[in-house]
Amino acid sequence: MIFTELRFILLFALCWITFFAVPRRWRSATLAVFGIVFYAIFAGPSVLGIVLLLTLAAYVRAPALMFVIVLIIAKVPDAPWIVPLGLSYLTFELIHVVVERRRGRIAEMSLTDLLAFVFFAPARIAGPIKRFPQFRDAVAAAELSADDVYAGVLRILLGLGKKFLLADVLALTVAESEYASSMHQAWMVVIAFGLQLFLDFSAYSDIAIGFARTLGIRLPENFNWPYLAANIREFWERWHITLSQWVRDYVFTPLGRALFGTRLRPYPGAIAAISYLVTFAIVGAWHGLEPRFVLWGLYHGALLAIFNLWRRHVPSSDSVARRVLGIAVTFFFVTIGWVPFFLPLAKATHMWALMFGIAR
Amino acid sequence: MKVRRLLFAILWLALIDLFIPPLLQRAEYARYETGAVYRFENSDLFALGPMVHYLREHPRGPRRRTMFLGNSVVFGYGLETRDALPAQFERIAGDTRVFNAAVNGAESGDSFLLGKAVIDSVDTLYVQLIRRDGARPILGMLIPVDDTDARHYGLDRLGPIEATLRSMLGRVWHLYGDNDRLQAALFGTSTRQYFYLHKRELLLAIVGRASHVAPETPRSTIAVSLSQRNGILGLPRPLLDLAEVAKAHRKRLVILDFQQRVAAAGFNAKYAPYAELVSIDVPPALRFDTMHLTPAGANAVAAALVAHERERAP
Repeated sequence: MIFTELRFILLFALCWITFFAVPRRWRSATLAVFGIVFYAIFAGPSVLGIVLLLTLAAYVRAPALMFVIVLIIAKVPDAPWIVPLGLSYLTFELIHVVVERRRGRIAEMSLTDLLAFVFFAPARIAGPIKRFPQFRDAVAAAELSADDVYAGVLRILLGLGKKFLLADVLALTVAESEYASSMHQAWMVVIAFGLQLFLDFSAYSDIAIGFARTLGIRLPENFNWPYLAANIREFWERWHITLSQWVRDYVFTPLGRALFGTRLRPYPGAIAAISYLVTFAIVGAWHGLEPRFVLWGLYHGALLAIFNLWRRHVPSSDSVARRVLGIAVTFFFVTIGWVPFFLPLAKATHMWALMFGIAR
Repeated sequence: MKVRRLLFAILWLALIDLFIPPLLQRAEYARYETGAVYRFENSDLFALGPMVHYLREHPRGPRRRTMFLGNSVVFGYGLETRDALPAQFERIAGDTRVFNAAVNGAESGDSFLLGKAVIDSVDTLYVQLIRRDGARPILGMLIPVDDTDARHYGLDRLGPIEATLRSMLGRVWHLYGDNDRLQAALFGTSTRQYFYLHKRELLLAIVGRASHVAPETPRSTIAVSLSQRNGILGLPRPLLDLAEVAKAHRKRLVILDFQQRVAAAGFNAKYAPYAELVSIDVPPALRFDTMHLTPAGANAVAAALVAHERERAP
């Protein structure tokens, strides 16, 4: 884990001191320089070169399609070429920058600010996916505060605790998937995976948010008790929030709008269903360009489309019993969906069969 | 207020740190020198590093030292700790402290690197003959290995900057520097593995119910014979290298050939009295599958090995 390497901690400590020691106008430059050094150390000079080129491409308003192609090339399974550290997050941030500049929502942008945004080390490993205007404002407004340092350190410790005391222990149960041979074992392994993934991933987010907070920079939250979601839409409002918001803004909404301009206009249910399926197929492919991830994405897209239709016909309710039932049903469907996320398709099929008592 | 809390936490850490070295010393002595039977709680690599570092720091113990290296056959896959071959060897021999340093899936390269790292701290090494000659890359991060071996076996190494920083911080902050050793000494594995392995017992203990009691180790009624077969295959390179190391350090190395396919005579003549290859003929009745020993099988092999050593040096 890069966050626990002393090289990272020492580099961050130097960055922290410099950040508050230099005049405010040099803070972006400080983050950019230390971010570039971080990338050079942990990813190597050649990878740094690739990321610098991508950043310059975003600065000169290269088309978003170029970053999509880069992302697709990088996601090829077992590719022999170098894939930069955290490239999935990086390309989504760069696509956000070029799209928002084209939309005119980012009027002025200095190269230094962009470099600070792209190379901000805490969020470069596993997100959260930042937004440029909010990040630039947060850097400009950052103040040295004991409250922020305290909250940041606590958040880092919370993340480390989640990772090492909970997620890594659950990983040992997940490793039993090789030997699962009964319905009970299969459910135990799959539920353990769902919890492990949440705890592991949210731990990385906690640590990233914590490091940023010590600098007085608030990064967006990524998780909000997702397994307490009472329906699948709410789940995606609580799970990997920055990714959900990104695909909402740059895939789902534009696609829905485009479909409204077609002969499908009288069928909003069909438009929503197509938009969900396409959006979540992309979400799946973003996790890995393999059929199993796309299947996982399509499964969630289908759940969302079905929920959308159901919500049109069944009014929502605030009753506690319905919420508890909703949480249980959502957890059930999300858990089933994790199977192809952590197992190759052939093994996933067997695991599903075990879970439902079809195989032995 | 927040600054005070941060300083208070740092003060607590500093206070706790004063107690880490004596705690580690006691825990390691109990784990490695005085415990009834020694085996890692789990056949994982985690505890190997701390054990090797302890042995290198304490080249002499209160008793003679014997170490067993190999894979799940020697570790005792499917057996209680006390039923595994090394534990039964310790009980039958009576005068030696046995370290079961076998790891499931180990290859002869692993045995070479481990044996070489502890050669000055043990009296006898028993090494299972495994034909695969690779080594786990992670060993390069866990135990001392020289650059030539690291390159030859393709081992992972810590970068020089990270290694220096860790060493510097470890010297001033014991809880950080001795963290792995403390876990291995207290739990016999990593803390997470310990809680994972013992979750059922721990839960039963919380609700006040008795946990599992292992049955007595059965003695074998079938004898196992040791021989010097003249098989057709040669020894894997790492084990020949380990024989050279044993000879140079004037330590005893016994290579255990459960497959009985390696030519022993030439090797034994060349390396006597330091290294010896013995073929072990284990009847099918003493195995619970094609290779793993039953408790009685481990008992029979241990008895044969102890008898062999006593015959050799009465």
